[in-house]
Amino acid sequence: MTESALADQLRLLPDYLGHHLTLTLVALSSGIAVCLPLAILVTRVKSLQWPVLTVASVAQTIPGLALLALMVPLLGRIGFLPAFIALLLYSMLPILRNTVTGILGVAPDILEAAEGLGMTSRQRLFRVELPLAAPVIIAGIRTATVWVVGSATLSTPVGATSLGNYIFSGLQTQNSTAVLVGCAAAAVLAIVLDQLIRLGELAVAGRSRTKGWLAGAGLLVMLLSTVILQIPTAKGSAVVVVGAKPFTEQYVLAEAIAQRLTQAGLRAENRSSMGSMILFDALTDGHVDCYVDYSGTIWANVMKRQDLPPRRDLLEQMKAWLQREHQVRVLAALGFENNYGLAVPRHKAEALKLASIRDLTGHAPQMTIGADFEFFVRPEWTALRDAYRLDFRERRTFDPSLMYAAAREGVVDVISAYTTDGRIIEYDLAVLSDPLQALPPYDAVLVLSPAAARRAELVRALEVFDGSIDDKTMRAANKRVDVDGESPAQAARFLLKAVGLSSPG
Amino acid sequence: MIQIQQVSKTYDRGRSFAVQRVDLEVGVGELLVLLGDSGCGKTTLLKMINRLVEPTRGRILVEDRDVSRVNPVALRRGIGYVFQGVGLFPHMTVAENVAVVPRLLNWEPAACRDRVDELLRLTGLSPRTHRDRKPDELSGGQRQRVGLARALAARPRIMLMDEPFGALDPITRDGLQREFKRLQQALNLTVVMVTHDMTEALLLADRIAVMKQGVLVGTGTPRQILRNPSHPYIAALMETPRRQADQVESMLRSGGEGQ
Ligand SMILES: Nc1ncnc2c1ncn2[C@@H]1O[C@H](COP(=O)(O)OP(=O)(O)O)[C@@H](O)[C@H]1O
Ligand SMILES: [Mg+2]
Repeated sequence: MTESALADQLRLLPDYLGHHLTLTLVALSSGIAVCLPLAILVTRVKSLQWPVLTVASVAQTIPGLALLALMVPLLGRIGFLPAFIALLLYSMLPILRNTVTGILGVAPDILEAAEGLGMTSRQRLFRVELPLAAPVIIAGIRTATVWVVGSATLSTPVGATSLGNYIFSGLQTQNSTAVLVGCAAAAVLAIVLDQLIRLGELAVAGRSRTKGWLAGAGLLVMLLSTVILQIPTAKGSAVVVVGAKPFTEQYVLAEAIAQRLTQAGLRAENRSSMGSMILFDALTDGHVDCYVDYSGTIWANVMKRQDLPPRRDLLEQMKAWLQREHQVRVLAALGFENNYGLAVPRHKAEALKLASIRDLTGHAPQMTIGADFEFFVRPEWTALRDAYRLDFRERRTFDPSLMYAAAREGVVDVISAYTTDGRIIEYDLAVLSDPLQALPPYDAVLVLSPAAARRAELVRALEVFDGSIDDKTMRAANKRVDVDGESPAQAARFLLKAVGLSSPG
Repeated sequence: MIQIQQVSKTYDRGRSFAVQRVDLEVGVGELLVLLGDSGCGKTTLLKMINRLVEPTRGRILVEDRDVSRVNPVALRRGIGYVFQGVGLFPHMTVAENVAVVPRLLNWEPAACRDRVDELLRLTGLSPRTHRDRKPDELSGGQRQRVGLARALAARPRIMLMDEPFGALDPITRDGLQREFKRLQQALNLTVVMVTHDMTEALLLADRIAVMKQGVLVGTGTPRQILRNPSHPYIAALMETPRRQADQVESMLRSGGEGQ
C-alpha cells in the first residue's frame, strides 16, 4: 500500500462519502417518517399487523444487492431513486417491528390508568405509549441506521455513487487499499450515526441539556456535510458523467477520459461499476454522458444481430444504427479490440494440441468452462456453442477478477477471457483462434449521449482518443492494475502519457 | 349522586355475568364500600360508573345524567379514580403524575405546581423530597399516596377507589385510612370504594354493599350489617372479623398468650 495509492483513494472520499451520507440520511428519515405512523396504525388496527410485518420481513430477506437490482427494472430508472427506494424498504422492518413491539408492550394497567384519568386516545399515544415505547423504538432506528449505512454500499452497481464505489472497483482491480478505505469509511459512518442517536436518546431520557446540544450539533454537522461534501460535484449540467462497466479496463478508461476532460477545463464525475445493460440505458436517457463500449457487444446485445460482417463494416453499420435509433454518437474508435476469446493454460494447450476452438470440440465433454457472470446469457456464447458444437461437462461463473486465477490454478480448464487483459500474459494463458468467426470483433468505441454529443468543448476534448490506443498499450495499462497493483487513476495517467495525451508538466 | 339501575355486565355474551341486575344509590358525601370476594364483580361495577366498561344492560346516572350520553373523556376527568395496583406512569415524575388531569384540563403551570405541592402534603409526602422522583424510587405505600393525590388533583366531587389501601403493611394502612376518612369528610366527597377486607369496610364505610358472584346480596350501615345481616352470606362474611375480635378480646382478658 504505497502512500500515493492511499492518496489517490482519499481524493475520492469527499465525493463518495457525501453521496453515501445523503443517500443514508434521506432513506433513514423517510423510513422513520413512513414507519412510525404505519406502526401506530398497525397497533390500532390489529388485522393489519400480520400483512404489514410480513411484507416488511420479506423485503428484509431479499439480499440487499438483489433488492437494489430489482428496483432498476421496477422503476425504469438508475441512480439515486432505485437506491433510495431499496434502502427505504430495507430500513422498514426494524423500525416497524420495534415500534409495534414497543407500543404493544406498554402494560395494560398503565393504559387503563391513562384512559380512566380522561386522556383521549391521541393523548394516550403521545403522553404515555410513545414515551414508554421510546427506548425500543430508538433501538429499532439504530439497527436500521447500521443496516442502511452498510447496504448503501450496494447502490454502486445501480448507478448511485456511494462508498461502495471503493469496494466494487477495488474488488475488480484487486486494489485492497480501495476496498479497505471503503469498508473503514462505511464502518466509521455507521458508528458515528449510531452513537449520535444514542446520545440523543440519553439526552431525552436523562433530560440532559449538554447531551442534547451535543447530539443536535452532531446531527447538524452530518446534514451540513452532505451539502459541503457535494459542493465540488454539485455543478448542475456542466458536469460530465463518465460511466464504466465493472472490470479493470473500464475503470482505467473512465479515469483516462475524466483526466482528459479535467485537462480541458471540464468537470468530470465517474459513475463506476454499473452493469453493461444498465449503462447503455443510462446513456440513452442521459444519466451518463459517455463511456467506452465494444462494437461486438452492441451488435449482439443491443442491435440483436446474428450475422457477422467484417470488422470495418460492422463498425460503420453500428455507428449509423446508434445515431439513427438512439441519437447516440460514436465519437471515437479507440484503436484496440478487446475480444472475447476462449483461453487455456499454455501447458494444457500444448499437451492437448489445442490451437483453435475447433480443437476443443472433442475435449469439451471432459472439461469445465469458467466465465464472468454475463457470458453464458449473452448471444455470443450461444453463437460460439452452436458453431463449434461445444458441450462442456460443467459451466461455472466467476467474478472477472478471479476467473484468470481459476484457470491458472486448474479450477477450470477453459475461460472466456478478454484479450486485452494483462493476466493472459502474466498467467501464461493461450487464446484459441476462432476460425469460423463465431465471435464478433469488439472494437472499443467511445459513445456519447445525445446531450453530450451537442457539447462542442466535450467533443473537442475527447475526439483525440480516436485511434490513439493500440492493443499492446491497453494491455500494459490493464496489467499495471491487475498484476502490479496500481490504482486505475495511476494506470490512466500512464495510458495518457503513453499515447501522448497528458498535459505538459 | 350516583344511581345504578338494573345494571348487568357479561364478558362472554351471556354465558356468565360478572355483574347481574344491580340496583344501588350513593348519596352526596357518602362513602359506600363495595365488599365481596375477589372475582365477584366489584371492579367491573366500579368501572361501569366512569365508562371504562360499558354495561350490557341497565343504566347508570351520575349527577342525574345518564353516563352513556356523556362524553366519556369529560366524564372521567370529573371523577377521581384510584386504580387497583395504582398504575402510576413510570416515565413521569411524582409531580407529573399528580398533575396529569389538571394538565389535561389546561390549568396554568403555576396552578398545577401549587396543586401538586398541596396534594403531596395532604397525602403525607414531602414535596421537596418526593416531587421529582420517579415511581420506581418510591415505596409501595408512597406510591399509593401518589395514586390518591393524582385522583384528587382536579378537585373531583366523586372518587372511585379500587382497593386503594391493598398491599400496605397494617400500620401504614391504618394511618392512610384515617387520613383519607378525614379528607373525605372535610371535602364532602362522594366515594365508591372497593375492598375485600371486612375490617376496612366496617371502619370506613357510611354504607356497605355486599356482592356475591355478580349479585348484590344486601346493603346497610356497618352497624346494621354486623347486628342483623340480611343474608346468610353476609353473616358468614362477618363471622371472620367477629371471631378474630373475640379471640383478641379474650386474650386480653385472660392476660395470657394463645387459648
Ligand atoms: N376484561 C374482562 N374480560 C373478561 N372477563 C373479565 C374481564 N374483567 C373481569 N372479568 C371477569 O369478570 C368477573 C368479575 O371480575 P372483577 O370485576 O375484576 O372482580 P373483582 O374486582 O370483584 O375481583 C371475573 O370472573 C373476571 O374473570
Ligand atoms: Mg378487582
